[in-house]
Amino acid sequence: MRSEVNLQTSSDSASSASSSAEERPYLVLIRYGELALKGKNRGFFERKLASNIRSACEGLSKVRVELRRGRIMVWPEQKPERVAKRLQDVMGIQSVSLARGVPLDPELIAEEGLRSVQEALEGCPADEIQSFRVATRRGNKNFQMTSSELDCYVADRVLPELEKRLKVQLKGADLVLGIEVREKNAFIFTKRLPGPGGLPVGTLGHVLCLLSGGIDSPVAAWMAMKRGCRVSYVTYHSSPYLGDASRKKVVDLVRILAQYQPTSQLFVVPFTKCQEAIRDFAPERYRTVLYRRMMQRIATRLARRNRCGALVTGESLGQVASQTLENITCIEDASGLPVIRPLIAMDKQESVNLAQRIGTYDTSIEPAPDCCTVFQPEKPIIYGRIEECLEAETTFDLDELLTEALRGTERIKVRLDD
Amino acid sequence: MEGWWRENYANPSSRHAAGVAASEALDKARRQIARATGAQPGRVIFTSGATEANNLAVFGHARARRGHGRHVLVGPLDHPSTRMPAMQLIEEGFEVEDLCLDSNGALDLEDAQARVRPDTVLVTQMFANNEFGCVFPIRELTKIVRRSAPHAAVHVDAVQALGKVELDVELLGVDSISISGHKINGPKGAGALIRANDDPMQALIHGGGQEGGLRGGTQDVPSICGLGLAVKLAEEEREDSTARMSELMRTLRAGVRERKIGRIIDLGAPKQEMLPNIISVIIEGPPAEVFLHHLDARGLAASAGSACQSSKKSMNPALFAIGLNEEEARRVLRLSIGKVTSLEEVQRSIQLLDEVRSELANIV
Repeated sequence: MRSEVNLQTSSDSASSASSSAEERPYLVLIRYGELALKGKNRGFFERKLASNIRSACEGLSKVRVELRRGRIMVWPEQKPERVAKRLQDVMGIQSVSLARGVPLDPELIAEEGLRSVQEALEGCPADEIQSFRVATRRGNKNFQMTSSELDCYVADRVLPELEKRLKVQLKGADLVLGIEVREKNAFIFTKRLPGPGGLPVGTLGHVLCLLSGGIDSPVAAWMAMKRGCRVSYVTYHSSPYLGDASRKKVVDLVRILAQYQPTSQLFVVPFTKCQEAIRDFAPERYRTVLYRRMMQRIATRLARRNRCGALVTGESLGQVASQTLENITCIEDASGLPVIRPLIAMDKQESVNLAQRIGTYDTSIEPAPDCCTVFQPEKPIIYGRIEECLEAETTFDLDELLTEALRGTERIKVRLDD
Repeated sequence: MEGWWRENYANPSSRHAAGVAASEALDKARRQIARATGAQPGRVIFTSGATEANNLAVFGHARARRGHGRHVLVGPLDHPSTRMPAMQLIEEGFEVEDLCLDSNGALDLEDAQARVRPDTVLVTQMFANNEFGCVFPIRELTKIVRRSAPHAAVHVDAVQALGKVELDVELLGVDSISISGHKINGPKGAGALIRANDDPMQALIHGGGQEGGLRGGTQDVPSICGLGLAVKLAEEEREDSTARMSELMRTLRAGVRERKIGRIIDLGAPKQEMLPNIISVIIEGPPAEVFLHHLDARGLAASAGSACQSSKKSMNPALFAIGLNEEEARRVLRLSIGKVTSLEEVQRSIQLLDEVRSELANIV
């Protein structure tokens, strides 16, 4: 430690932690993929995306959202980096860039470009040479230079300053200085952070997802959201055979999924009576298939009451005994609505990878059993037949069980910032 | 907090309904803290305070990385709760060095660049200093470490920064930060280590596998709930309260200067930013402790850098680290502004400081 420290006496030059240097404020530049392909109803998709962006930023920062041809600009009041990070989870967004806006003057563009490149280089080893290019997109055709002229103009000003750190490479460069020339400003950035793509949540209707607490069903819910569906959830609980920990696990999963859809509802259906009736009156081998038929019926009724147009499940063909083609046929027969199965052709490992990416995996593997494990048959039926199911279901009062389950259903509202 | 003492006193590890409810309360606090610090809820490890969190970080990171090297760097003004464990590591065969301040008192990044080595396994540096209020350039330091020490963990003691500076473990690029409830009007005896990744770490307290196996022992649910709420509020009110405190601090600084109370220590300014709530002043005249007792008698609570009778050995080493001599160190008085301090109280404090200064000038 050095002991010769020249202590400044009090002066007004001491800045406080909340102030910052004179820098242009950051904005988040948003690109959307598939949305741009929409025709006459494109405005509807864009407005929905803008409104989802606002909801996603709630509790983080106030934001101003501007829709401009082919892009959305988000101006956060604070925490721009965290806003950008949060927006990476908003369905419909292809990629986001933290950018700075400058007036339409080549010199100012080059100056800001140099600063952005210097900032980006701070994180790279000093002795490593980075490959580099400038990539201009000129939305504003009235701008005085063409895209390639501006590329060269900016590169001519950046490269001499950073001769030892950069070498030009037009394809596959490590560091790409992006410039978007728009109507009033140019936007400068060096990073494109990927979003999930897809369509904005809420543009393709409302669905009800059957959530078990395992790995697959949360992934199925996420995939439905990615295709623009607003998702509500239903789970089945077998108290007192299962404890509150199983229920908590499902609530935790819905909360994780709230990153992608900030508000949602979860229906918790008491399922014990249904399971006891099936145990007592139906053939043992058919138990699991019959449980699932019951779940489909309850879900269909809940869905209709809540104006959901389809059910979503995490079924994958052949993954477990109840997911053979025959059993899926038996189960779907009890549903009154289309059943969407986003994972139907996916391997387990693919689901696991996705679950890890969306953040549900660690919670899904927590050791809390779901209701299907209660009175599980030794040898479950693999090739079930609808007639057998229908016959078994005549042995108990189906309507009474359904009514009672629906009467006892609890509705939990889950919000991202709970 | 109250309800978790009186009504639901269940163990959060229990599987019964009351236990699950208690574990839900812990999860809520975890989410509140995660949201305020840009972390994942599962990476918030509750501890008995920042001292334990800092001990866990220093021993936990260093011991888990022993296979990659034994070189450790410690912030020159760090709190004893990181410096002492680091010194302890020497006994275990680690080589421990200090980072340095430059001639102006700012963290010397060039020196840091020279000291970081491929076998460096831990760099610990506080975010904001508790005595002088200076804010250290953590992002820049982290970039330097990442460039030259691929296996090093960067730990940041963020106790003073919480609620005053934006904290985001990912954006800072660090491996962990420690926080404490009592600096943000929350409960004492509650703190947390917040990790940015799942890199290997060794536990300090072994037991029932709580806190992801990194901190055994049944969690103190009431205090943790209080900590979660305090962190949430501190972050929500951060912009407003720092703006308000900065305004009060300007008044206090102007008062100290105009009334010639003493010399304000602006460590590293203007290169380094300052917290809006703390200043240390080398007062003119008597030892700070005498000053402090006179202020106390008039109802103003301040802190002295070192007790006047204490030997140099037991005095705060940070004061010597910034280059003060023993006599100056005894005259360091620390003044802090709280969340609830009013302008009238600041003006009254300046008046009291002035009164005590003139009174003692005649006696001592």
